[in-house]
Amino acid sequence: MKRIACYAALTAVSLFPCLPALAQDYSGRTLVVGTWGGDIERLLREHVAGPLETKTGAKVEFLLGGSGDRMSKMVAERNNPTMDVTFQNIYEAPAALKEGLVVAPDAALVPTAANVWAGMNDGCYAMSLVGLGIAYSKALFPEAPEWADLWKAEFKGKMAYAPYPSSEGDGMLAVAARIAGVNEHDPDAAFAKLAELGAPVLSYSSLDEVFTLMDAGEIAAAPMISGYVLSNLGNYEGIGFVFPKDPGPVLVRDMVCQVANSPEPELAQMFIDLALSVETQTAYAKELNFGPTNSKVELTEEEAGRVINTPEEVASLLQLDWSYVIEQRSDWTDRWNKQILGQ
Amino acid sequence: MKQTPDIKPTATALLVAPAAILMFGVFVLPFLFLVVLSFWSQVPGSVGIVPGFTLANYARIIGDGYYLGGLWTTLWLSGLVTLLCLVLALPLARWIYAKRSKGLLIGLCILPLVCGALLPTLGLVNLLSPLGFINGALKSMGLIKTSLPLLGNIAGVSIGLVQAFLPLMILPLISTIERIPHDYEKAAMSLGATRLVVWRRVLLPLMLPGIVAGSLLVFCASLTAFVTPQILGQGKVVTFASLAYQQAAMVLDWPFASALGMVMLLFLALAGLLGALVSRGLGRRT
Repeated sequence: MKRIACYAALTAVSLFPCLPALAQDYSGRTLVVGTWGGDIERLLREHVAGPLETKTGAKVEFLLGGSGDRMSKMVAERNNPTMDVTFQNIYEAPAALKEGLVVAPDAALVPTAANVWAGMNDGCYAMSLVGLGIAYSKALFPEAPEWADLWKAEFKGKMAYAPYPSSEGDGMLAVAARIAGVNEHDPDAAFAKLAELGAPVLSYSSLDEVFTLMDAGEIAAAPMISGYVLSNLGNYEGIGFVFPKDPGPVLVRDMVCQVANSPEPELAQMFIDLALSVETQTAYAKELNFGPTNSKVELTEEEAGRVINTPEEVASLLQLDWSYVIEQRSDWTDRWNKQILGQ
Repeated sequence: MKQTPDIKPTATALLVAPAAILMFGVFVLPFLFLVVLSFWSQVPGSVGIVPGFTLANYARIIGDGYYLGGLWTTLWLSGLVTLLCLVLALPLARWIYAKRSKGLLIGLCILPLVCGALLPTLGLVNLLSPLGFINGALKSMGLIKTSLPLLGNIAGVSIGLVQAFLPLMILPLISTIERIPHDYEKAAMSLGATRLVVWRRVLLPLMLPGIVAGSLLVFCASLTAFVTPQILGQGKVVTFASLAYQQAAMVLDWPFASALGMVMLLFLALAGLLGALVSRGLGRRT
């Protein structure tokens, strides 16, 4: 009897650390998540925020905007953050970790992170895989173009770019460098080659703006991230999208990060765990054409054909030396303003 | 005659304190931080800041033709918008003043200010784009064959800024014109003055305080405008506010962005000083 009582006591003591988590009620508490608006926000509300609110009683509040705004916010609130989870891009995540703005990925805190393809949780947790390809006007390109085709004389001054700095701009510079026979470590050659395309028709602030003009043939092409374009192609018959082969598309990855010293670390970890789950990642692939990072996701052949979703496919993509690119950020922004936009 | 009772100094201090504390906390302190930050520097390739005194950010602005060009573009664009607003607002203010439905018309004038910058600007994109309403209408009438470039240039940005800031010119003009007795115009015309002469010799001199106030408001608002030049300029019209935004929010070089902001504030202060001097001169003359 004494032994049984002893076992019971030991069991109770060993379970004790788990009890608060099991019994924890998060009612009245709010998790703040910074992300992009539109379809991404919709999917996150549906597959992550909704179930989390039901499970915990907490409220999830979204802050919508660009990832640069969120980096600024993290820096400004370094000592007293108000945001718990933030979605950043491939080059911001390692920089944020280096600056101590986010918590390093850890499968002990976020169990589903163990299912993410090896090596992808760089700085933060890898959320989705996309590639930088070419969105093009079918009227001007009867056949899907390769990168080099953009340098044909008839397309000079007919490109559109996302505002710089951006993954699209850096990716395009890396492509230009390779067309010139070098890589992004030779920015003189990269900028000179990209400048040969002429000043862009516009630096677009929304996809509709650029797609409308491309559909009408006023813009020949634009380097764009696959997921967004593929999700919109149905609305524009005159626009195509291609992953070029020489060089291959540039790998871009969306990352989800737990903000360091945030008010709700446990809720943040639960949110990220749900974001990386098979269900959410499958929805991302099916509805947004964003490649899943969770290795357990199974897609049909047709769905898999539209996304980048295996380490083998990732290996075939052009990968930039992002830490070098980030170090050049200020200088390259000046050069982009002067040599590309200011022609 | 009933006299207003004197308010004790303690009561005055208590009444003023909430606003003063608020202004100090949300304006003065951040402003001082902005001044200090503009003399610090960013660690290259990092979001880290080196808190040591340097003039490098200001030297970069003065020594780089690109930033000086951006400053020059911003200044003359603001001057152009001010002039266009003045030319449009003078007859409009006079017309509104004479109408019975003055209140309604003033309300309509204020509408762009109430809407904020974003919605009207996005509406203008639809009007001015190569496939927009204006180009479409001109093409369907056979007046043009290729689209007029109304976006991504000074023309588009000016149209947007005039639309946004015209109320800032109209309101001071109406308030000035209301103080001019009707008889002045009639007296001048009875002595043989034409409408043009009435405008030139009677109305314009008497409206000068309103013109100065309106011009100052429109110039300063144009100098610091961000949303309209950013959207209608399509990245091809470089203004100081868009450069500061790019450095602050995208490059994350806050010290340099602060220096850009300080230069902008310097020109705002100069414009304010000029306006004050002109107003004082007008006051002495009258």
